[in-house]
Amino acid sequence: MSALFNSLSKHLLHHQSWAGYWEPVIQCFKPGWREGYFRAQVKHVQVFAEQNVELVLEPEKAWPIHQAGQHIALTIQTDGRLLTRVFTIASEPHMAKQQGQIRLLIRSQEIGAFTSKLTSLKSGQWLNISEPKGQFVMPNTARSLIMLAGGSGITPFIAMLKSIPADSKKTITLLYYAKPNSHWLKDELEQLKQSLSNFDYHLLERSKDGDATTWLTPNAHKHWLVCGPAALYNQAAALAKQLDTPIDSEHFSAVPAVLATSDKHELTLTHQGKTFTIDNQQTLLTHLQANKQPVTVGCGMGICHQCQCVKKQGIVRDIRTGELSDSSEQLIQLCISQPVSDVELSA
Amino acid sequence: MKTTKTVNFEKLAAQLDSVKADVKSKLGEQDAKYIRRVIVCQRVFEWSGRILLMLGFIQPVLWLVGVLSLATAKILDNMEIGHNVMHGQYDWMNDKYINSKSYEWDIACDGASWNRVHNYEHHTYTNIIGKDRDFGYGLLRLSSDFRWRVKNLWQFVTYLLLSVLFQWGVSYHEMAAERVFFGKKKDDRDYKVPHSELKKRFFSKGARQLVKDYLLFPLLAGPLFLWVFTGNLAANLLRNLWTSTIIFCGHFTGEVETFNQQGCENESQGQWYYRQALGSSNIKGGNLFHVMTGHLSYQIEHHLFPDLPAKRYREIAPKVQAIFKEHGIHYNTGGFFRQYFSVVKRIVRYSFP
Ligand code: FES
Repeated sequence: MSALFNSLSKHLLHHQSWAGYWEPVIQCFKPGWREGYFRAQVKHVQVFAEQNVELVLEPEKAWPIHQAGQHIALTIQTDGRLLTRVFTIASEPHMAKQQGQIRLLIRSQEIGAFTSKLTSLKSGQWLNISEPKGQFVMPNTARSLIMLAGGSGITPFIAMLKSIPADSKKTITLLYYAKPNSHWLKDELEQLKQSLSNFDYHLLERSKDGDATTWLTPNAHKHWLVCGPAALYNQAAALAKQLDTPIDSEHFSAVPAVLATSDKHELTLTHQGKTFTIDNQQTLLTHLQANKQPVTVGCGMGICHQCQCVKKQGIVRDIRTGELSDSSEQLIQLCISQPVSDVELSA
Repeated sequence: MKTTKTVNFEKLAAQLDSVKADVKSKLGEQDAKYIRRVIVCQRVFEWSGRILLMLGFIQPVLWLVGVLSLATAKILDNMEIGHNVMHGQYDWMNDKYINSKSYEWDIACDGASWNRVHNYEHHTYTNIIGKDRDFGYGLLRLSSDFRWRVKNLWQFVTYLLLSVLFQWGVSYHEMAAERVFFGKKKDDRDYKVPHSELKKRFFSKGARQLVKDYLLFPLLAGPLFLWVFTGNLAANLLRNLWTSTIIFCGHFTGEVETFNQQGCENESQGQWYYRQALGSSNIKGGNLFHVMTGHLSYQIEHHLFPDLPAKRYREIAPKVQAIFKEHGIHYNTGGFFRQYFSVVKRIVRYSFP
């Protein structure tokens, strides 16, 4: 039925989707309703030191409950713009079943206006979430587990640990790296240690405790789970390969951006599945043309929108205004966009 | 440039840029709410119109209200929503449906074709004879830049016909300019899209429009087929006449100037602004009037800043006018009838050698 309506809508109303066609009307009655997304209501927002945010959301009934370790894309509308970021759910599936709620723990970042906007969310407000995604869940293995977390990479482990039954026999050790004095949820970890007989954790700092190799090497016979910055993952992955240890991981890379235009920096550009090395001095259009990529061009001065393209990831600067883009998915005009970080454009 | 007045182009550019930057910094919630509200109105007008058309047999007045309602919906979709969204005015919202890449409007013209000709050629090369194919649409002689031909004698009639069939004119525009069906093909032209693709899009979009308004909805009405059929015809006609008139008033009033290619090579931002300023004209009116024109009653502001959300033109118009005054640039505005009369005069004037 919905396929029929969609095709009618496409052919006769020139709208890709029937529900999308009515979206602005439905929003008059159901604030925050958006085709292709789930609605969730903000139940609780708490801002901690250093602008870290705890967000408790109540997803609509139809939302499929997550598995511990999975993440969602969170979309908020702020100043009329839709912004999306991915966050791991830091609560156990049980909580979603019982109370209908999920919890996110979010670290604020300087670049990209997103996380700073989260602090101004009000309870009662509606926002959008995706279905739960990702394969990073408790492995089905007889081995003991090593959990290696870096910074905000602690969140999936909290969800996993909280969903372990108290009588579980599996031995689990959590190695948790963070900057000095910025380990999250110390109380909760302590509580988990009390309630789970075979769980232990170590709060680590690189400067004091050395890097992960020292901690991992003696545990080659266990199953490793890693979540944290790409650098931490790369190190663990290399070691796992060497020691022939099974490893599961989720790693994220905060987009490193070059903020000064004056110095030349090498960056990468991904377009239609191909990757090129570029620099931060020219516009994306120039780079694509230099690499003989098919692009549509019009005025070359930001008026006509012919060169428009979907940026999946990365930050670009508007050469006319110097304004920096958001780091998530959005439409950009190639002819006036200068890369500031590695950039991925959609096909 | 035709006019050799000395304008301080750098200053002009800086001033207009700052007007633009000011609006850009203010864009937000309000603008997003506004466009969504217009879309809601469009939906309500469209569907109440379609239903009322079927109720004409109870009371013919209902049919008449239906026609007006549907025409309003079509005008909103064409002007305030379609035209403006496809200009990229709301791309910053990051909304998957309200952006220039995915929006398709409810007229016979394929959006992508319009984007190429209008958004690119017309807005970049505004009124440069030989580059902006919008000037006179290849049908009308509207300046002395073109040689007079006998067919220009009855071009007022041509103009009326164009207005009646305006959506088809817009739709055919790119093909006419590329000489897809008639006329000499220039070999050296760099075609952006193959002719076969142009034809396919022209026929498929056009056919879908015809099927919808003249077959499907009338059939749904069963025995009231003719009520709905004529109602749709009338609504489309009203929309065509309205958009054509507004667009002519914005582009072809008496004082609008044209430019030649040599004069516009390597032009600076200031010169570009200047050309936009002289190539368009405004129409005065109330707020509702502006909404129904898609704010193209602020054609000057639209040409200066084609991708600023159109409703903002209202607030910047006084600033733009003041800047023009300072530089001694004519700010062409007037009441609807005055502007329209000026257009008619122009069409008639250039009918003759
Ligand atoms: S080519 Fe015209 S906006 Fe980029």
